[in-house]
Amino acid sequence: MAKLKMKKIELIALLTDSKKIIELLQRRGVVEICENKDDDLPGANVSAVIAKFEKFRGTAAQALEISEKYAPEKAGLSSMLEGRKELETDELGRDAVKLEETMNISREIIASQKAIADAQSSAAQITVRCDMLKQWEKLDVPMNFKGTSTTSAFIGTVPYAVTGSELEQQLPDTCSAEVISSSKDQTNLFILCGKSVADEASDTLRRLNFVPLTEAEPRTPSELLDGYKTQLHELEKSSEKARQRIVELAENREMIKFVIDYLQMRKDKYEVLSSLGFTANTFVLTGYIPEKCTEPIKKEIESKYKAAIFITDPAEDEDVPVLLENSKFSEPVEAITKMYALPSKKDVDPTPVMSFFYYLFFGMMLSDAGYGLLMVIGTTLALKKLNLENSMKKTLVMFRNCGISTVFWGTLFGSWFGDIVQTVAREFFDKEIGSVALWFEPINDPIKLLLYSFGLGILHLFLGIAVSFKMSWDDGRKLDAVLDTVPVYLTVLGVAPLGASIFTDVPSSLKTIGSYVMIVGVVLIILTAGRSSKNIFARFFGGVYALYNTATGYLSDILSYSRLLALGLATGSIASVINLMAVMPENKIIKLIMFIVVGIVGHTANLAINLLGAYVHTDRLQFVEFFSKFYTGGGKEFEPLTVNTKYIKLKEENSND
Amino acid sequence: MTNGLILAIIGAAIASLLAGIGSAKGVGLVGEAAAGVVSVDPSKFSKVLVLELLPGTQGLYGLLISFIILTRTGLLSGNPAELSVTQGLAFLIGALPIGIVGLLSALAQGRTAAAGVGITAKKPEHNSKGIIMAAMVETYAILALLISVLIINNIAV
Repeated sequence: MAKLKMKKIELIALLTDSKKIIELLQRRGVVEICENKDDDLPGANVSAVIAKFEKFRGTAAQALEISEKYAPEKAGLSSMLEGRKELETDELGRDAVKLEETMNISREIIASQKAIADAQSSAAQITVRCDMLKQWEKLDVPMNFKGTSTTSAFIGTVPYAVTGSELEQQLPDTCSAEVISSSKDQTNLFILCGKSVADEASDTLRRLNFVPLTEAEPRTPSELLDGYKTQLHELEKSSEKARQRIVELAENREMIKFVIDYLQMRKDKYEVLSSLGFTANTFVLTGYIPEKCTEPIKKEIESKYKAAIFITDPAEDEDVPVLLENSKFSEPVEAITKMYALPSKKDVDPTPVMSFFYYLFFGMMLSDAGYGLLMVIGTTLALKKLNLENSMKKTLVMFRNCGISTVFWGTLFGSWFGDIVQTVAREFFDKEIGSVALWFEPINDPIKLLLYSFGLGILHLFLGIAVSFKMSWDDGRKLDAVLDTVPVYLTVLGVAPLGASIFTDVPSSLKTIGSYVMIVGVVLIILTAGRSSKNIFARFFGGVYALYNTATGYLSDILSYSRLLALGLATGSIASVINLMAVMPENKIIKLIMFIVVGIVGHTANLAINLLGAYVHTDRLQFVEFFSKFYTGGGKEFEPLTVNTKYIKLKEENSND
Repeated sequence: MTNGLILAIIGAAIASLLAGIGSAKGVGLVGEAAAGVVSVDPSKFSKVLVLELLPGTQGLYGLLISFIILTRTGLLSGNPAELSVTQGLAFLIGALPIGIVGLLSALAQGRTAAAGVGITAKKPEHNSKGIIMAAMVETYAILALLISVLIINNIAV
């Protein structure tokens, strides 16, 4: 239970076995390898090999990305949840041989994609050129036409709108001007003059801001355009061909994924090699290993290879990595602990003490049996039908347990999709059914549930204080253990009946006892909380200050549990409001249709938002109110050398779970 | 329709109005930040969506209080109660906690959640910490909801 005891492992073996041993450790996934810090043992330089794997992996990953773009894989909701494909270990060797082939496929995919990109950019250039040529389409002479033996031709543009005859008036007599095309601020012209007046015409044109066309093309614009059209067509064809090729090659997707994972594994292995120490013929590996895994690994390696393995306790000051292990009931909540922080060396694992209240509070905040039932059914189906990763499995189990608790509370409070039972009976069968609650309906007596919420909160907080008591006690600080906890217990217990009397009737004898208990607690806090300082006044003021802190701290902590009531009320009331809206129409048939449509949409939305609310606020109660009593966190996660794959899962890989 | 009933209706309107405005602004604020993250990495959509939803609950709480007022005053069932001005005023005052705290806390929560979107962008694995930080703000909306429910539920009609 709780934190697994870690051992230090030191392994010395023959260099020739190094890769095989590391592969074995990688498959078992139970050893976290430490960097070799011994300067006498030089490391191996494997960066070139790692770089090579990295490059190959990059190529394959790029090819996969391109395949996804051109031939997307169909993804449904179930495949989103589903885990990696499982593979027998003996398939690893067979498929691995196809590395060269897969790399060639990947390169071809990348090349095809490049071909498509090139074709697209050429096509874009040609399109721009075509747009320009379109303005000259009506010109029926070659674009570099300068004239015949007796004439001179000017092809060009003036930056304003003008007609042919207007221009002819300004030019020498024998000139003719033809407008090829024009727009508001530009006119494209073809001007033909007799050779004799060519110079004069040229001068005039320059004054008119005429810009000659600089084209060396010996073909007419329409001929050119035709040529470009065929070119564009060909480019389109070739890019389509490349696209089809990618789609074809994308059939090998699984193989590419496999190679990506394979290369990642190889890379990880070589990275480990770089952190080992070497002598001429042997290598030294040091690392952390959970105690329960030491024997099998030791046996397996020592029987297969010539190796010496030493298992020792880690030194006091070492930052030992943390791995949690809990019972089936608590294990799913480990993720919540991890989200806050892993336990540091001084901490205990809070998961087992937290799990019961986690489920309890979650159910109380959602508190609708219908919604709880949906959660249980949904998660159970997913767990049964889908091939899931371990972490996803744990999360689903957690939500299933929370769902069971939700059904429990919902039944107590008589909330099934809000008041759907009563609504259906009233609207469709004309029958009035009263409350179906096994206990009571919170909306009718919120104060009662508020007090129970505070009560549960006090229990929760007291549990946290008890853990801190045990930690101090085990640490040998027995006096501190008693003095830090007992006065708080007394004060809170003493105040509780007085506080409750604000809301409800409390027997006066209980109130009297409460006030005495409270006074004892308060006096104890003032007298003992400042015990660390020597000065008598400092002690006294330390005590008063601690009293102030305790009072405000616990008051706000306990009040914070009112969210148990408020969120539960919100879920049930909103669900009832949805039912109310769903049965508004008078006509029975329309009412039924509305009831189904509004019911499904409304309850789905309500479930989604309240599920999020319950999750977030249960976390908050654990993190802020509960953990602050005893938990600091800050441990380093145990990260064993393992098969760190993205797409493929090896079947024997589960040995560390 | 008595003056008291009008006051109660104003209360119901205020609860939805203020809390709704706050939530709309808060969700919008987070949405803008979230869209920026999604434009770079569309796979983070589901993570930022959760953050975007968080400031939306105040609007729901406001709606809830409005409905409770409307139900308690009998407006929804079609035979409104003859409320005195004092009773109507009590309903109106009962709507204020969730209205005002809902408005302001949704805005604050929106800003916190938008900052949480930054966490999701840079360190996606710590996304849930951003969610918890934003949820801290919500506490006060829940407290206000609780007080609104308690006030409105205990007015004698």
